[in-house]
Amino acid sequence: MSAPQEAAPVDADHQEERAASLPKTPLGRRLGLQRYAIVIVFALMILAFGLDIPSTFMSVGNLSNILGGQAVLFILVMAVLLPTIMGDFVDLSLGSSLGLSAMTLAVLNVQHNTNVVVACLAGIGAALVVGLINVFFVVYFDNDPFIVTLGTMTIVQGVIYIISGDNSVGIVSTGLSNWVFSDDFLSIPLEFYYGLAIFLVVWYVLSFTPTGQKALVIGQSREVARLSGIRVNRQRSFAFIIGAGIAGIAGIAYAGTNGTVDPTAGSTLILPAFAAVFLGVTAIKPGRINALGALIAVYFLATGTAGLELLGTQSYLQQIFYGAALVAAITIPKVNRQRFFKRKRLA
Amino acid sequence: MSFTGTPGAAQERPGPQEPSVSRGRATAAAAIELSDISMVFGSNRALDSVSLRIGQGEVVGLLGQNGSGKSTLVKVLAGVNTPEPGGRLLVSGQEVPLPVPPGQASEIGLSFVYQNLALAAGLSVLENLTLGQRVSRGTRAWAPINWMGEHRRAAAVLDRYQVRLDLDQLTGDLQPVDQARLAIVRAAEDLRRYRARTGAEHSVLVLDEPTVFLPEEEVDRLFDLVRTVVAEGAAVLFISHDLAAVREITDRVVVLRDGKVVAEVATGEINEHELVDLIVGASARPAETALDEHALVAEVLGVAPTGTGGPEAAPGLREDIVVEHLTDGRLADLSFHIGAGEILGVAGLIGSGAEDLPYLLFGAHQAASGTMRLGDQTLEIAGLSPQRSVRQRIALVPADRTVQGLSQGLTLWENITMLVEDDHYRAGVFRRGELVKIAREAVDRFLIRPSQTHSLASTFSGGNQQKALLAKWLLAQPRLLLLHEPTQGVDVGARRDIYRFVKSAADSSQMAVLWVTTEFGELAEICDRVIVLTQGRQTATLTGEELTEEEISAAALRQTREVR
Repeated sequence: MSAPQEAAPVDADHQEERAASLPKTPLGRRLGLQRYAIVIVFALMILAFGLDIPSTFMSVGNLSNILGGQAVLFILVMAVLLPTIMGDFVDLSLGSSLGLSAMTLAVLNVQHNTNVVVACLAGIGAALVVGLINVFFVVYFDNDPFIVTLGTMTIVQGVIYIISGDNSVGIVSTGLSNWVFSDDFLSIPLEFYYGLAIFLVVWYVLSFTPTGQKALVIGQSREVARLSGIRVNRQRSFAFIIGAGIAGIAGIAYAGTNGTVDPTAGSTLILPAFAAVFLGVTAIKPGRINALGALIAVYFLATGTAGLELLGTQSYLQQIFYGAALVAAITIPKVNRQRFFKRKRLA
Repeated sequence: MSFTGTPGAAQERPGPQEPSVSRGRATAAAAIELSDISMVFGSNRALDSVSLRIGQGEVVGLLGQNGSGKSTLVKVLAGVNTPEPGGRLLVSGQEVPLPVPPGQASEIGLSFVYQNLALAAGLSVLENLTLGQRVSRGTRAWAPINWMGEHRRAAAVLDRYQVRLDLDQLTGDLQPVDQARLAIVRAAEDLRRYRARTGAEHSVLVLDEPTVFLPEEEVDRLFDLVRTVVAEGAAVLFISHDLAAVREITDRVVVLRDGKVVAEVATGEINEHELVDLIVGASARPAETALDEHALVAEVLGVAPTGTGGPEAAPGLREDIVVEHLTDGRLADLSFHIGAGEILGVAGLIGSGAEDLPYLLFGAHQAASGTMRLGDQTLEIAGLSPQRSVRQRIALVPADRTVQGLSQGLTLWENITMLVEDDHYRAGVFRRGELVKIAREAVDRFLIRPSQTHSLASTFSGGNQQKALLAKWLLAQPRLLLLHEPTQGVDVGARRDIYRFVKSAADSSQMAVLWVTTEFGELAEICDRVIVLTQGRQTATLTGEELTEEEISAAALRQTREVR
């Protein structure tokens, strides 16, 4: 997601010009309009829905629905963020890791009467194993992560079918669903706070520690990182493994929320998770994958779909909103007005 | 799928007697003739009324140092450079308007093989050989390719030049010499097709440094091929630093110096020593260089510790660095030492192994064997890694600034403070403000302009990026600084600054410096001592009075292919 603003280095004269023209940059740029564009659109959207359908949209129930209902996706987004920020775009297997974790938990709990806490740990452990396998093939053998995780995703999906016998599995323990979904704090299900806690840790590490800064360098230019003495492969490995572990936690949140685990659980969530990560690139720190941007993106998309749902639109319209928001958000900052019109004039 | 020949193949049939009938007069004319070609870049006259004539079937060597104008002249022929008005280009006696339209050089019977060969490593020999036909004019994008027919024709082409290659092998798996031969066959075949298509007799193959990466026993195989190409009817312009190669293959040599033709002689009439003198210019500007050096030293003494980590800079470590028995690929049992505070230059032509040295000593590339003594420590060079080197305070400023040096998508301050950021994370808080402050100071000290620490690295010019890269490594207070082409693509002002920063850092903190570049004038100006590498061996050491561009060039040139 590197977005160099100027492809070719400019010579000294041009730089003087740039410096001279600096105060003339548009007001919007100076106020950081681009970095808060989504936040502003988000606010406008809330205002519009709020004015249109105040009784349903501006209710505690709806807030709780949006915040709680997206918690699983939100945790998965944090999982996706880690390998992606290191330049290992697209760990596709994270969705399957989520599914594997949830299914392991369900099968152990229902068919083997395992204590639910032990079952949860086993679920996370299963996801970590997937992460380790990815590390082995992607980092150790230096393969393309897209291709390897496409393979592991498919394999793990197959394993899920085997252990579940191709059936949805209901969970016996009510404790789990209480801890995750039924109990609430300030009317918002607990799982939202779990997600928030994971977010805070990820955000802190990425934004406020040298480790996070190094991750950024690895993602931007791996060769510079290597020659600066950064342990590139070790950090990438940790990103894959911790990412898989967080996906495992997302799987437990999924199981607790739904009460039953469907074999296809993870596969429907992984693409929206990527959408949120990439949409988040356009916010807060434009051009960089960042945790806060991803947080905003998840709830921006969730609020939009929830509002449309309350308006009674068909679900396919919500899908179109989801996709269009992603494409528009990454394109609009690139439409350099002058260049756009100059090219048209030339044509 | 039909097996009829392509239109190109059909046109090959007209016999060679046809052109000789229609253009009897043309045989007297040169294949190509350039006259009064001048090129000006800013205030620099890269070419000054250069004339060059290549006769039919002649092999002409074009010699000169880096910056003498060889590449500029080749680029005029290739249509990359537009010369000043007044220059003329005659092809087979007929005037061709300059500049040659880019990409159209093949339309006037010129074909180029550059040092990088322009082969796609991931494609097969056959695919590379026929690549030109895929993109040439008049090719229909959807016309089916008859691969079996192509295969047969390509085999015939290789036979014609007596080159035995497996057409289905991946080009990247070929030996370097076979890759070079493949590139030459492809270019020669383009020329042959051009002659068949137009009926012209002339055609010129331009070989730009094709031998630099080849071991010498392979060079002979390459020359057999060049002779075959000449026998087929092409003339050759051979550009090289390798005097032995030039003397072996050429009929005549043209020597360029400072953009002018200084000599044009038959190869048989000149010995290697005279040739070296012609190339470097026997007694040019020694006084001027000495003056520069005095001025520089005064300047450095006047502005004491600029480049180091400020007043707290590591106090005199006074330790020599000794490299022993370094062996790897091109380098054979190389041993040398760098004194504390010394700037050691390494001179060598491309392919001499000099360009590998900084990367091997840093552990960026794995060396086969050798040791390096830093003070009281002895390190196995083969066991070095960038992490270990950074811990040992060894610094590497790589030549590839944009890929290996600075992270273009990060801001200037993030790049400059990359190596010191661990020191500014205390009690769970990353002291970003401190880092920005350090970067600000560095920007002031290293004269980086514009002084915007929050701009992306990619927005800075080459010179300023290079200064930032130097700042990044000097902030880590290295004991050994490895520089590879540190002023490549850097303007004169920034170049001066870089010399000054390195010199004062070496003086004030007793840092050892290894300076590797093919710009020998730079070595003469900045270094305390220069070692010369040829074919991976140290063949000369120059100090004091000997440190002039001419002496270094002569040493690097003269040793070429003499060490057997």
